[in-house]
Amino acid sequence: MQAVIDYILQNGFVLFLTTIYTAFCLYIGWYFKKKAQSGVGEYYVAKREIPGWVVSLAFFSTFASTNTYIGQAGMSFKYGLSWAWVGLFWAIFCVIAWLVLGPHMRNQTARLNSFTIPDYFHFRYKSNLARSIRILSAATILFATLWYMTGIAKGCAHVLTSVLDVPYAWGAFLIIFVTCAYTIWGGMYSVLWTDAIQGIMMFAVAILMLLLPFIFVGGIGPMMERLSDSVHVDAKGAPLGNGLLTFGSLVSFLYILGIGLAVGMKQISEPRCLIRFYSIKDTKSMRFAMIWTPVFLGISLVCVMGLGALVHGMATPEEAAYLVKNTDEVIGFMLAKFDSPIISGICVAGLFAAGMSSLASVILIVGTAFVQDIWHLWKPLPAKTMINRTKWTMFVYCLIVFVFTLYPPAGIVELTAFSGAVFSASFFPAIFGGLYLRWGTDMGALVSMITGIVVNIVWRFGFRLQYESLKDVHEVFPSFVIAFVVYLVVSKLTHHRKPDEEHLNMVFGS
Amino acid sequence: MDFMTAFPYWGIILIIVVNAWVVSRMQFEIRD
Repeated sequence: MQAVIDYILQNGFVLFLTTIYTAFCLYIGWYFKKKAQSGVGEYYVAKREIPGWVVSLAFFSTFASTNTYIGQAGMSFKYGLSWAWVGLFWAIFCVIAWLVLGPHMRNQTARLNSFTIPDYFHFRYKSNLARSIRILSAATILFATLWYMTGIAKGCAHVLTSVLDVPYAWGAFLIIFVTCAYTIWGGMYSVLWTDAIQGIMMFAVAILMLLLPFIFVGGIGPMMERLSDSVHVDAKGAPLGNGLLTFGSLVSFLYILGIGLAVGMKQISEPRCLIRFYSIKDTKSMRFAMIWTPVFLGISLVCVMGLGALVHGMATPEEAAYLVKNTDEVIGFMLAKFDSPIISGICVAGLFAAGMSSLASVILIVGTAFVQDIWHLWKPLPAKTMINRTKWTMFVYCLIVFVFTLYPPAGIVELTAFSGAVFSASFFPAIFGGLYLRWGTDMGALVSMITGIVVNIVWRFGFRLQYESLKDVHEVFPSFVIAFVVYLVVSKLTHHRKPDEEHLNMVFGS
Repeated sequence: MDFMTAFPYWGIILIIVVNAWVVSRMQFEIRD
């Protein structure tokens, strides 16, 4: 009994905040339960009636995950303040996503009555071959999402273990099935509204976390003094000197460019981000989201992408020598070193928000991909049955993710990064061509999709891992360029396969 | 801190401002 009292006294504030936050997410799911059940359009895309500020925050919280707040923030401990270049590329792709894809995607998907990315391919290119594209893209989603979800669940479970001493298996169970519960209840309504609340928390926590190292060392001046002549060592054991503040001394720009593009391009190609455009309400909402989403993401990235480098100001040389080899532990170390239960509680709630917002989005994407794009194609289903089977699919998929989280396969980080590059190369050409090129064809889309997957595999395993000089050249470069060119060339060669003019006039609203 | 290390921090702010200016002047309409 005394042990329980001691535990509650020690972790009371973190427990209180985490419980309130979890209960609030579940309440939102329950609140939208009835509304979401009323039809497939309601459950899958929230009837395209969501205000701009909600969609904007949801896009930000869906794209940024625990990987951003723990993994990428920690990377700058090893690579210095110039790691923020990665954030700059992400911000650029956020702007491109909203400017180039946002309004067009919202209008076309509404005209086509499209609810998912795979069914957009089918309806836009309108043929039996386009049906194959729908199934191939749905299968890609089902395969790639498994690694992504496992990676996030692992990260959140480790946070629970290190902060609250919750056993790893229980932490993984809680994070996966709490998110699964509110997603199943409220469909896209609960995903978007909880994402928006989580986005507000993440934005506030990013600013708070940036302040901690400066407060710890006594201001900007003392911090810059410590960083400009550091006695800490880099990953190879050499003294850092002023490497943390010097561009290109700790990491090559090519490597920064690779991570910046491979992750940043997810915003223009991954279904969890693109589906946000489907749900937005009207012109005013779209304009708000186009302006403010880069603000939420950009400011957060300014705060977190160089945060790890600032933690050098808080660490002893011995601690730094350990952290430079374990960058995932840098943010946890920072919170422990700052030693304020209230600050830790707020930051842990923010880290949960980052993980759960990304998990909820992909759980729904998986359910819709399997039921709407595979099962419903094979055997058409009535609306009520579709919603029920989507729920069961999400639950079963979460069970599989839970097992993978308990027994994670080797190389899960690599698999997740590889999946991101596959989405960029395989999905973007067919989406961009569908939105802008009347002469784009189903054959162009299918061949470019397969090309994207093949070039990714060949470049990664045939070139990048074989030749030292190519190790910093991420597979996203060749696969994206080649897949895009293939889309254009094959569409031109098969121009007779484009849909009829009446269909194209409807799609393009002309 | 050298210019190239500092660039992304104010570069992100610059992108946000330019994007807001472009979007506020952009013509588009979100339309059974």
